[in-house]
Amino acid sequence: MKRIFTISGLMLLLLFCYDAAFAQNVTLKGKITDGKTGEALIGVSVSVKGTTIGTQTDVSGAFTLKVPGNATLSIAYIGYATQEVAVNGQTTINVALQPQTNELQQVVVIGYGTQRKLDVTGSIATVKGADVAKQASPNALSGLQGKVSGVQITNNGTPGKSPDITIRGLGTIYGNTKPLFVVDGVWYDDISFLNPQDIESFSILKDASSTAIYGIRAANGVVLIGTKRGTKGKPVINYNGYVGLQAVTNQVKMANANEYATAVNELSALNGGDPIFSNPSSYGKGTDWYKQILRKAFTTNHEASISGGTDKYTYNYSFGYLNQDGLAKTNNYQRYTVHLSNDFKPTKNLKFGYTASGLSDVSRDVNGDIFHQLFGAAPTLPVRKADGSYGDPNDYGTGDGNNYNPQATIDFFNQRTKNKRFTYNAYGEVTFLKNFKFKSSFGGDISQNEVRGYSPQYFATLKQQSNKTNLDINHTDVRNWIWENTLTYDVKIKDHKITALVGYSAQNYRTKQIDGKADNVPYVKNGSIRSSFPDTANINFFPTPGSQAHNRALSQFARVNYSFKDRYLLNASIRHDGASQFYGQHTYGNFPSIGAGWVITNEDFMKNQKVFSSLKVRGSWGKIGNSGVPINPTVQVIATDPYLTGLFGNPLKTYPGASINSIVPPSIVWENTASSDFGIEGGLFDGKLTFEGDYYDRKTEHAIFAIPVAGSLGTSNSSLIGNQATIQNKGWEFSLGWRDNPSKDFTYSISGNLGINTNKVLNVITGQNPIYDGGEGIANGALATRTVVGQPIGQFYGYKVTGIFQTAQQVAASKQPGAAPGDFIYQDTNNDGILDSRDRVALGSPLPKYNYGINTSFTYKNFDLALDFQGVAGVSVYNANIAYRFGNENFTQDFYEHRWHGAGTSNTYPSVNVGKNSNAAPNSFYVESGAYFRMRNAQLGYTIPGNFLKKLNISKVRIYANAQNAINLFGYKGFSPEIGGDVGSRGIDASVYPLFATYNFGVNVTF
Amino acid sequence: MKNSTKYSRKVVALGLIASIISFQSCKKSFLNVDPAQNTAATQFFKTQDDATKAVSAMYANLREWNNIAFAPIAVESMGSDDVEKGSTASDATFFNDYHKFTITAGDAQLGGFWKGQYQNINFANQILTNVPGITMDETLKARYLAEAKFIRAYSYFRLVRAFGDVPLRLTLPKDASEYNLPRTAKAQVWAAIETDLTDAANVLPQTYSSADIGHATKGAAIALHAKVAMYLKKWSDVLNYTNQVMGMGYSLFPNYEQMFRTNHKNNQESIFEIQCALIPNNPDASNSQYSQVQGVRGVTGGGWGFNVPSPELAAAYETGDPRRDATIIFRGETTPEGDKIPATGDNPMYNQKSYVPFSLYVSGFNEGCQQNKIVLRYADVLLMNAEANNELGNSAAALIPLEQVRARARAGNNAILPKVITTDQATLRKAIYQERRVELAMEFERYFDVIRQGRGTEVFGSRGWKAGKNEVWPVPQNEIDLSGGALTQNPGY
Repeated sequence: MKRIFTISGLMLLLLFCYDAAFAQNVTLKGKITDGKTGEALIGVSVSVKGTTIGTQTDVSGAFTLKVPGNATLSIAYIGYATQEVAVNGQTTINVALQPQTNELQQVVVIGYGTQRKLDVTGSIATVKGADVAKQASPNALSGLQGKVSGVQITNNGTPGKSPDITIRGLGTIYGNTKPLFVVDGVWYDDISFLNPQDIESFSILKDASSTAIYGIRAANGVVLIGTKRGTKGKPVINYNGYVGLQAVTNQVKMANANEYATAVNELSALNGGDPIFSNPSSYGKGTDWYKQILRKAFTTNHEASISGGTDKYTYNYSFGYLNQDGLAKTNNYQRYTVHLSNDFKPTKNLKFGYTASGLSDVSRDVNGDIFHQLFGAAPTLPVRKADGSYGDPNDYGTGDGNNYNPQATIDFFNQRTKNKRFTYNAYGEVTFLKNFKFKSSFGGDISQNEVRGYSPQYFATLKQQSNKTNLDINHTDVRNWIWENTLTYDVKIKDHKITALVGYSAQNYRTKQIDGKADNVPYVKNGSIRSSFPDTANINFFPTPGSQAHNRALSQFARVNYSFKDRYLLNASIRHDGASQFYGQHTYGNFPSIGAGWVITNEDFMKNQKVFSSLKVRGSWGKIGNSGVPINPTVQVIATDPYLTGLFGNPLKTYPGASINSIVPPSIVWENTASSDFGIEGGLFDGKLTFEGDYYDRKTEHAIFAIPVAGSLGTSNSSLIGNQATIQNKGWEFSLGWRDNPSKDFTYSISGNLGINTNKVLNVITGQNPIYDGGEGIANGALATRTVVGQPIGQFYGYKVTGIFQTAQQVAASKQPGAAPGDFIYQDTNNDGILDSRDRVALGSPLPKYNYGINTSFTYKNFDLALDFQGVAGVSVYNANIAYRFGNENFTQDFYEHRWHGAGTSNTYPSVNVGKNSNAAPNSFYVESGAYFRMRNAQLGYTIPGNFLKKLNISKVRIYANAQNAINLFGYKGFSPEIGGDVGSRGIDASVYPLFATYNFGVNVTF
Repeated sequence: MKNSTKYSRKVVALGLIASIISFQSCKKSFLNVDPAQNTAATQFFKTQDDATKAVSAMYANLREWNNIAFAPIAVESMGSDDVEKGSTASDATFFNDYHKFTITAGDAQLGGFWKGQYQNINFANQILTNVPGITMDETLKARYLAEAKFIRAYSYFRLVRAFGDVPLRLTLPKDASEYNLPRTAKAQVWAAIETDLTDAANVLPQTYSSADIGHATKGAAIALHAKVAMYLKKWSDVLNYTNQVMGMGYSLFPNYEQMFRTNHKNNQESIFEIQCALIPNNPDASNSQYSQVQGVRGVTGGGWGFNVPSPELAAAYETGDPRRDATIIFRGETTPEGDKIPATGDNPMYNQKSYVPFSLYVSGFNEGCQQNKIVLRYADVLLMNAEANNELGNSAAALIPLEQVRARARAGNNAILPKVITTDQATLRKAIYQERRVELAMEFERYFDVIRQGRGTEVFGSRGWKAGKNEVWPVPQNEIDLSGGALTQNPGY
């Protein structure tokens, strides 16, 4: 409480001292243009230095501002050097801004404020919203891939799901490994609800000194996102539309019907059965199930926005519509977005405004099993029989592994997911005493999600039928809010520049879910969870226990930035966070940071050199936390799952069951990430060449995650959460950029970035004993990863394959007497003469050592071209799909062609009996390189010359075409080497989602 | 004007500050959020109702997958000469490794079986630790504790039979230092089982009112104790316990085939069975897959067709024994309930004792989820009594219960199953073994019966069974890994 009184006392004091005097004002007009091209610059911030008096340029680059006659104007625009101009009584000032001549003058968004890049002592990367939006992807994150060093984005392939994003390696493991997203001051775990077109800028905070101000949630980095706001001037109307096509690429070829029939006959024989197909060759190619179910999927997207304003208020309204077909037939997604923002400035010292975003979407879902069904489906199975009925796997007796006709699966799957989401932020800002600014911001998220599934009464195949109908409605409500207040003090006294900030924040997150289902009711498309069922229905309502959540946080924070002569920089911050997840014992955490920098080019001795336009070295240290843990992890809860219902009596009655079937740690402490960062950045040759290099060392102490526990504990959930390990991520990041405009018609830029990360476990709770994990997705649940001190977390672990048994004699003479010809020969690595679990060894790490990206752009006259490449290297993936078999699932053609099928046929691939226990045991055969290189985005645009358009009152028309992921190079034999997953099972490829490329054609019109 | 804006500005600022202060003052309660999804366990085990719920949950777990489906098939049935894997040749081929004794410690069913039993034990230990402190009806409390001991003994019996030495956990772990228990010598585990069963038998009622049918009875505890004693070759105990059960009013159900149908659950022959049902709208409570995994393939309402009768079993019956037809569904037959079994298909035979008429199938539920799993029945007790009498040299006395079992099977047809009259101990022993085999076929008794009879090599040797190794299965590799070496592997694996 003491601290609070200090803060508020200070504020009261300041208010009563309030007084101000203004010099004689003049009305100033002017136009801001690009110093190179002469183009008008829209939305440039023009302000009187040291005050909050300011405006922005309109669509023609013009501004009008009442200023004191003796003022100094500060003109700032992202991507351009900030210029200062003394007014000296002039009434017209036109300024040509120099693009990026000194990148250190750029303004970057930081936590709770902005800074000149010069003043930044941490590692912050910025990306313009337009660079992401131009990729025409429905999700903003996928557009960031390969753009920023140290930021790894993994498209997990699940259609409609946001990609995984990790910043500087896997530091935090449990729950949410994503960075914190702060959109207009409101905290989110995910930004899939944002239309990329509405994003103005991204600021990616990578090191602890930048992120520590977000203490509680900063362990995985922070991405600050500003959405578009209005600029003063005539209304500007913008329309952007594209049509697109998604198509499967790098498709894994499956065995055809003839090959399949041959293979399953072999499999049956190896298991002592009769042939399933009497004449394999009679089946020919058979059904190509991927072709049957997947398609080239179309996307249509429209966006329109209007923005403008006056001195007193500005506005920006936009509307978006997306209609995207899924790769699987019948799958469709429609999204409506609206984004409204207003800023009001009733007096010089008062500013307030809001942002409100609405989203409404509806997805016609596809059965989540369909991709696994396609992978396993028998090509011998006809889609339909001659009589028109569905081909039934039961007719062929191919077993329970592939008992489905995928066509029937999609035909009778009726599920729609609807989201309504409203996100908002309102703020008020008071400037007083010239140097003080108080800002209060309240924002939040209100959303509703409904999943409505209906099973009709039908008969398709033996395993795909229903003798009743069923309606199942699942409803989720989310109510989150965040309230933050900050007081900023900004002063420059001679060569000393100080910015100080204090603030506090309160947050509340609440999710409620309920599910209702009933048999033998008609389908209702709309309606509430209750009104959708007829009165007579016997409805079963139950909340899904894991999906109810409520947590809160309360925090105070402070920061000081100091610079002397723009040469020596010092930043320090502290945040004190309380999180309800830890309520009781270790509720609070403290997260300090400190950073320092030296701007060498501002030294006197550098004044006369021409090589470096800027050069800065910087270093920082900070400590951050992670509250992404389950609520009250140390509180044991009662299990009341329906499967625990007791059944007794005659007549039989149900008795609700409850007990305790979990264990919890006695205490859990905050996970801390302490990290240091050293960087050098600068520009050469007038800023044509820019570079940045960072070394970082990030140590996650008391890392929280769940590890499997002994089965003899008898718990139903077989894991225990706790502070399990200390993990270190060390690495280098480099980026290098070159931009030039050799002639008036031609400009280009090329930049590359590289991140090198080494992950190492420094200690684990089990001491010298490793943590074993990664059983999910492995055929027999064997644990395929091991975490051991000194090695990367979650390394693949298993037997080393040295060959394939060719003959029974060879088996008999081996250390694997239970094996059969065609099985893997494992290495007796400890040379003790027997082959057992002690012969398992580390087989590779799922964490990439190298992440890199190459981004280029070219403009020639009215043409523009951008080519972006991206890749990872030094990574392994575990191809679990090969052995994840229950019966006669199909094989990949690669496996079929290389399989062992008799002595001498293969010494690398096993027989088709690959799914049997001893072959499916985690081993080196399944570990492959996960390296890839791809052309992430290629875009060509053409801007139609202006003269003709002026008559139509159109200021700009640009047409463009782009291709995303069109070229992918990798050696991995699965669908995609991009595998995410939780720690412990990371990199285990148990999904079978095809990779797809996207091709778009669009037009952008500005009125 | 200037003053008024200044004033209003102050009001705004003061208001904000006031709200900050008031907000901060309630800071403590603000962060105290209930775990929204569930009630804290400290609120549990306070009332009689809580005790009842915990007992219900303990029984419910007996129908769970690892207790009733693949894991028991693998561990308790697949090694036997009465069964084969079933299904299609390529489906779930790990069962073959149990049948051929090539199983390695990594197989998931071993871990599933291990976990399933220890879950039962945890539910029992929760009751045994927490219920004594509840203020409730003392008679009911004593009964609940006795039921928990019965379930715990049953689960340890299954574990020690399958793995030999196993971690013996008779209390809840106090803290993390007790999470990772080493194996306890099997003699101690057997002793703990016997203590639990003695305690349970002293308290449990002989019968229940109709509302409580399904709870463990005194007869169940004593019958299980008889079986435990039989595995320990304590023949006079077996005799004593079986004699006690035989005085409790159980009798053989007249129709052997009908005894296993869902309309004859908990009949006069039943001593303990796992209660299963189809509860409308509640597939989670209707979760038994016992019948489904063994059901007839290729028909709606059938199942997956694993654990099928072997030709050896079909040949093991005496000519005309009606139990052959009652135990085995043959391809192409029509069941007494009128279900036509496809004449072609993957397997020539299926388990009839787990069979549920196809017409009872409801979409969205497991096929045959209504079927109870019989754990102990009176015929088993009679045969244990016969075996004990014979082992103790009372062969004449052994013939009486043996004949009771055969007489019921005979169902009045004197042309079949002649009365066994030999009093030669060795000959009679063989006859009793044979009778146990056919009477209890497909009821998960045969495999461990043969081992305890010391005939493993004789009966299973041709399939690879080796004395000194295959008496027990390997300890699950995942458990050994997770124990960090606290658990050791059985010899030979």
